[in-house]
This record gives sequence, structure tokens and C-alpha cells, in this order.
Amino acid sequence: MSAEATPQPQPSPARREGGPDVPSPLGEFARAFAANRGALVAAFVFAAIVVAAVFAPWIAPHDPVQQYREHLLTPPLWQAGGLAQFPFGTDELGRCLLSRLLYGARVSLLIGLASVLLALLPGVALGLVAAFFERYASPVIMRAMDILLALPGLLLAICVVTILGPGLVNTVIAIAVGALPGYVRLTRGSALAELQRDYVVASRVAGAGTLRLMFDTVLPNCMAPLIVAATLSFSSAILETAALGFLGLGVQPPLPEWGSMLSAARDYIERAPWVVTIPGLTILVTVLTINLMGDGLRDALDPKLRQAA
Amino acid sequence: MTPLLKKLATLIPTLIGVTLVAFFMIRLIPGDPIEIMVGERRLDPVAHAALMAKLGLDQPLVVQYFRYVGELLQGNLGTSIVTREPVLGEFLVLFPATIELAFAALLLAVVGGLALGVAAALKRGSWLDQAVMALATVGNSMPVFWWGLILIMFFSVGLEWTPVSGRVAIEYDIPFVTGFMLVDTLLSDEPGSWRSAVLHLALPATVLGTIPMAVVARMTRSSMLEVLREDYMRTARAKGLPPGRIVVVHGLRNALIPVLTVLGLQVGGLLGGAVLTETIFSWPGIGKWLIEAIARRDYPVVQAGILVSALTFIVVNLVVDLLYGVVNPRLRGGGH
Repeated sequence: MSAEATPQPQPSPARREGGPDVPSPLGEFARAFAANRGALVAAFVFAAIVVAAVFAPWIAPHDPVQQYREHLLTPPLWQAGGLAQFPFGTDELGRCLLSRLLYGARVSLLIGLASVLLALLPGVALGLVAAFFERYASPVIMRAMDILLALPGLLLAICVVTILGPGLVNTVIAIAVGALPGYVRLTRGSALAELQRDYVVASRVAGAGTLRLMFDTVLPNCMAPLIVAATLSFSSAILETAALGFLGLGVQPPLPEWGSMLSAARDYIERAPWVVTIPGLTILVTVLTINLMGDGLRDALDPKLRQAA
Repeated sequence: MTPLLKKLATLIPTLIGVTLVAFFMIRLIPGDPIEIMVGERRLDPVAHAALMAKLGLDQPLVVQYFRYVGELLQGNLGTSIVTREPVLGEFLVLFPATIELAFAALLLAVVGGLALGVAAALKRGSWLDQAVMALATVGNSMPVFWWGLILIMFFSVGLEWTPVSGRVAIEYDIPFVTGFMLVDTLLSDEPGSWRSAVLHLALPATVLGTIPMAVVARMTRSSMLEVLREDYMRTARAKGLPPGRIVVVHGLRNALIPVLTVLGLQVGGLLGGAVLTETIFSWPGIGKWLIEAIARRDYPVVQAGILVSALTFIVVNLVVDLLYGVVNPRLRGGGH
């Protein structure tokens, strides 16, 4: 470096954007992500789940609401009495479990994605504003968040459902509103910690404006916890959707949903364990893959953790 | 004392907000207000108008709100449509059950999570670390209601170790003293009832404590790893301090700050999880009460249930905030 140093303060653009020596940020990210075996496997599993959800109408062997009365509680294929036409068996109404799980994936992923986006974007903005304008904006924003936080996730969802009635869109709204305060607090907390650091002071002294300080200087250094939080809230949105379905307050029948499948299956826990284990495992595996991907993203995006690894 | 008073003062807007939410919640439900709040259906117009006037529902919303808050301050949470009993009485019986369950779960989560997290961080990369991280990742992804069903399948139906539902075996007649079954069974003269209460509590507390334990273990580990790299840790080692003291005083105390933050957020999940756990195990607490009230359209109970859950959560968050000051002296005294 020193040999190439020129009197000009700015390095040449080509050098900066990734000459032969400097790896591109994207390539470095991909390499770090791939280095985490669990995250890589999870990414493939998750991709498979997404594909299965998108192409459910073409993959599913049966209509998810079609009742085969002559095949009530058929065991899965690998158990005695299993039928090839129902690979995961059937439920108490003779509906194909595999088809219901495939269609259920659409509901869960859609609600998860929509609610994360609906919470993350305003959450980060409000958190940064609260951190930068401690005197005036922070009390207002944080008190408003306290009100939302005073009704924890599932209870807030129950509250919304009591008012608006159950349904897909109301589930998304309820879960997003419940996730918002977490993002605001986390962003404000990390931003406040970063604001104490020398590099922010240096940037301020160098004349950086508030917006630049917010989004260019401070926000990138708050990203790692936010990514972990976004991942957690995507998976917890899926869990909450299933929980509401389990309580009978979420997505309503005949739309197939993982949680409501479990709720109906409770009474058959001894006679037909597969109607409990298979939908539950589906929820667990889906949530697990998303969480593992989050871990991989964090490792890949947080240079501090990467160096230490 | 001043910081505490300041903290309490900041709670006032939150309390107002929460009462507003509870107040408007019941008024936003579409339908006839008398039917929703009193449960009377198809009254003739004269009786309907008389009841509206008696309950003050013909008054402006502002007046109605102040009336509502006034009633709350006198301990009146409304009257159940179904039982026609004051909601407060039902609540006082059910609340200790939820507190007992949540405390047992939280204790399990904090003790287990901190121990696992510190051990994993100190032995980074070892099989122990990998096992803890794997368990924490799976535990964190666990659907609470399904986990409950699986544990029932294994321990209650399969091994017959634990009962499936309730707080204590029905053959014991435990008088209501504190409402906490672990205390009341000790105060009663029923031998063996305490053991029964513990067995009844074991599965629900495990189910409810699993996710917070996983989160605490994960956060403790990553926070501890970050702290272990700090210069003051090297200094402490260089000074020749005993390793246990370094880990606990220099390491864990600094690592606790982010752990406390996630723990504070977990308490909300704990209350939500209590709803599910109580439903699965027929645990007679406010979570099960709330869900049953929704099913019966007993809206005054739903309103009260939401309100007291929110109040509980506010109190717990206040405690977490105060603990924050204890573990991080820099935040003491309210800022700069």
C-alpha cells in the first residue's frame, strides 16, 4: 500500500471497486456464508420449501380439502397399512396430509414475509430517529412503542383478532404490529451504543450530515443484530401464525394451515400419532432452516465475528 | 431514588395508552354495544335505551373513558357476561396460577440458559459448544404447542411419569391461601400433595421455559464471546486474577447487558406462550381464561384479560429496566 500511496487523498476508482487484490464484498459475503455448513444446507432446504409452496397446486397429489371417507386416518407410507396414494397418510376427515402441508406452506410463508417487511422498514427508521433526536423524538417514539410492547406478540394478535375477526390479512397486521417495537428498541439501542464510538465523532467532526450519519455511518454497524432479529421475527411470525391457528383464532378452514391442523389432531394423539408429529415437524423444520440461514447471514455480514472465527 | 421516580413517571403515558387500548378494543368490536358488553340480546328499544343510559354508553366517548378509568382505579374490572360475577374475583383466583407457571419457566430459562451459554463460550468450538448451539437452535425454533403435545405423548402417555392436566391431583383438597400451589400444598396437611404439585408443574414449565432458555443460552454465548475479546479481560488475566472471578465479575457482568435486553423481550413471549401452555395442559390461569372467554364471546373478560396481561408486562419491563442499571453502571442516573 505504502509504495502505491499517492499524494492525492482519493484512491483510483478501479482500485476501490475491487482490483486484483481486493475481493468484492458480494464474493466475500458468499464465501463466508458458504463456509457455514448449517446455513448452506438450510438455504437449500428453505429453497425447496419455497419451491414446494409456490408449485403446490402442481406437486400436491390431491386437493387439500377433498375428503376420502373410505381412508380415514390412514398411516403414512412407511408404516404398516400405509397407502402409496397418501405418502404422509390422511387426517381424521380422510384428507391427504401431504397435500395439506404443501398448501399450508403457502399460507405460512406469505404471512411471515409480509409481516416482517411491514415491521422492519418502519421499525429501523423510527429507531434511528429515536437515537439521533434523543430530546424530542425519542420520548414520543419510545412511549408509543411501550404501549405496543405492553401487549406482547400473541396477546396483541388475539386483541386484533377479537376486534377484526380472524383471517389472513388481520393475522399479518397483528403480527407486524407486535414485531415493530422490537426493531425500534434494537435499532435505537445499537445506534446509541455506536454514537458513543470515536468513528462517529470523527465523522461528525468531518462534517457529515445527520442523514449521512444515520444511514451511512451508524446503520451499517447496527445491521448484524437487525439481521438476526429479522430472521427471528420471520420464523416467529410463522410460529405465531401456527399458534393462532392452533387456538382457532387464525386462518380459518377450509384453508389448510399448519397450526389448525395440529389443533384438530390433538384428540388422535394416541390412535394416530402421525397427524400430530408430521405437521409439527414441518413447522419445526421450516422455522429451523430460517433461523440457521439467519446465523449464516450474521456470520457472513459481521466482520468482527468473521475475523475471530 | 430519583431515577426510580423518573422511571415511574415515564410509565404514566404507557398506562394511559394501555387503558385506551382496552377501552377502545371492546368498543371497536362490530355489533350492538349492549349485546357485546352485557350479553342481552334483542331487548325492546325502551329497555335497550334505559340500559344504555344506566351504563353511560349514551355519553360522549371522553366521558365514558374517564368513567372506565375511575372504575378501574376502584378495582372494578367489569362483570362477566357468562357468570354474572365481577371479573376481579375470577382474576384474583387465576392470576397466581399463571405467575407460578411463568416464574418456574423463567427460573429454568435463566439458570439453564446462563450456564449453557457461558460454558459454550468458554469452550468455543468444542463438542459441548456445538451441542449447546444445536439444542439452542432447535429449542428456539420449537412450536410451543407442538412441544407440549410431544412431551405429553412421551412423559404422560408413554412413561406415565407426569399428569396430563391441572395443578395438583384431585384427591388432595388444598385450601386457597396464597394461590401458589407450591406454597399452598406445603401449608396444607396433605402429605404427598407438594410432590404432586411439582409433577404437575414440571411439564408446563419445561414447555414454557424452552424458548427463553434457548434464547438466553444463545445470547449469553455470543455476548460472552465478544466480551472475552475485550482488553480488560486480557488485563484481568494478566493481573493473575482467579479464572472464576474473571469470568463472572469481568466477563458475565458485562455480557449480561444484551442478555437482559433479550430476556425483557422474552417475557412478552412468555405471556403469549402461557396462553398456549395453559390451553394444552388445562392449567387454570389467565391465558386459558382469556381464550375461553373469546370462544364464549365474554368480551368484558377478554378486555380485562388483555388489560391485566399488559399491566403485568409493564411491571416486569420496569424491573428489567432497573436491573439494566444494576449491571451497567454507565446507564445509572438516567444518562449523561
